[in-house]
Amino acid sequence: MIATPDNAVPAPGRWTHGTPPPNVLLHANALVTGELAFKRFHSTLERALVVGAHSTMDGVHFDLGEGGRVSIGDYCYFTNAVLLCELELRIGHYVMIGWNTVVTDTDFHPVAPAERIADAIACSPLGRGRPRPAVLRRPVVIEDNVWIGPNATLLKGVRVGGGAFIEPGAVVTRDVPSRARVMGNPAQIIGEAP
Amino acid sequence: MTPGRRIEGDWYAGSVPENVVLDATAYVETSFSFTLFRSRLPAGVRYGRGASTYLGTLFDVGPQGRVTLGECALVHGARIICDAEISIGDYALISWNVVLMDTYRVPFDAAQRRRELERVPAREPRVACADVPARPVRVGRNVWIGFEACVLPGVTLGEGAIVGARSVVASDVPPFTVVAGNPARVIRPLTDRERNRHAG
Repeated sequence: MIATPDNAVPAPGRWTHGTPPPNVLLHANALVTGELAFKRFHSTLERALVVGAHSTMDGVHFDLGEGGRVSIGDYCYFTNAVLLCELELRIGHYVMIGWNTVVTDTDFHPVAPAERIADAIACSPLGRGRPRPAVLRRPVVIEDNVWIGPNATLLKGVRVGGGAFIEPGAVVTRDVPSRARVMGNPAQIIGEAP
Repeated sequence: MTPGRRIEGDWYAGSVPENVVLDATAYVETSFSFTLFRSRLPAGVRYGRGASTYLGTLFDVGPQGRVTLGECALVHGARIICDAEISIGDYALISWNVVLMDTYRVPFDAAQRRRELERVPAREPRVACADVPARPVRVGRNVWIGFEACVLPGVTLGEGAIVGARSVVASDVPPFTVVAGNPARVIRPLTDRERNRHAG
């Protein structure tokens, strides 16, 4: 963990709206705000969410399925991002994520039409207890020093290399090399991170 | 509006800052829109006659930021990230979850960005507000911006332009032109017929 500049003992991490779920670890001086932060937090894993020291999670939604695991490094700053996780989101240090940006490690439903019908039934009020078809889940990795603008979307399985710059509104469907600058839907490389 | 700049019936227990200049006929749905408003200018936001801002609108305005809303401009729910100037023309229509930004708010250089991020936790409220160049955004008169579109720093949208939903506008848009896509491209100019049609 990174020490505070003046070596003072930092305050413990906290959530402005109460005590977070027991399987959430907020390192020193991490701050989570917003009453909706854990409204859809369903992970039953032991360490489902770790937020690094001095990170600010302002209005972030931690929407984790039963087996979801999210780790966030130190000195990150997210505003109103929506993190949808059924498997794993691994986010490094000094990462910024802008307002209304979605990061997800799954599409939540199968592609094959017949499987999707089975899924619709299982999810419906008639589906009580019926198992849902398996859905593809692939971890998302965001390395250190990445900047992600507002209204962006990061889809399952992408790895965003260190120092990459994701322009506002970009829809990232493939890996982004370190220090690349990407824009568009689907996101394309438009140059080096400035 | 009641004294103390509270809005009658507001669900949020805040008030409208003194340096938000409201025309008597303007409408502000909620003071929540000013929770990130930090402008120190005498008119950090100026609402024109009949201008209105609704629930999802958030003025994320820095100390030297200035936002103007023209006559009957209707902002349904934009995130307005402003450190210099964002002007919204008369009769402009701005839909929900639109982003208007005149600054990236962070240094492009990764090492400088790290230093900025190390300062964030000490601020109240905790915001990134590095002193980086801002380039004004101008939304012309009678412009219509569809939902979840982004308008990037330095962009001017000409009079009567239409921006499709979820577009990302990175360069200027000529007057009376439809643009869409990410990045946004010109779809077509409005036809003479459309431009000359009169209401009623």
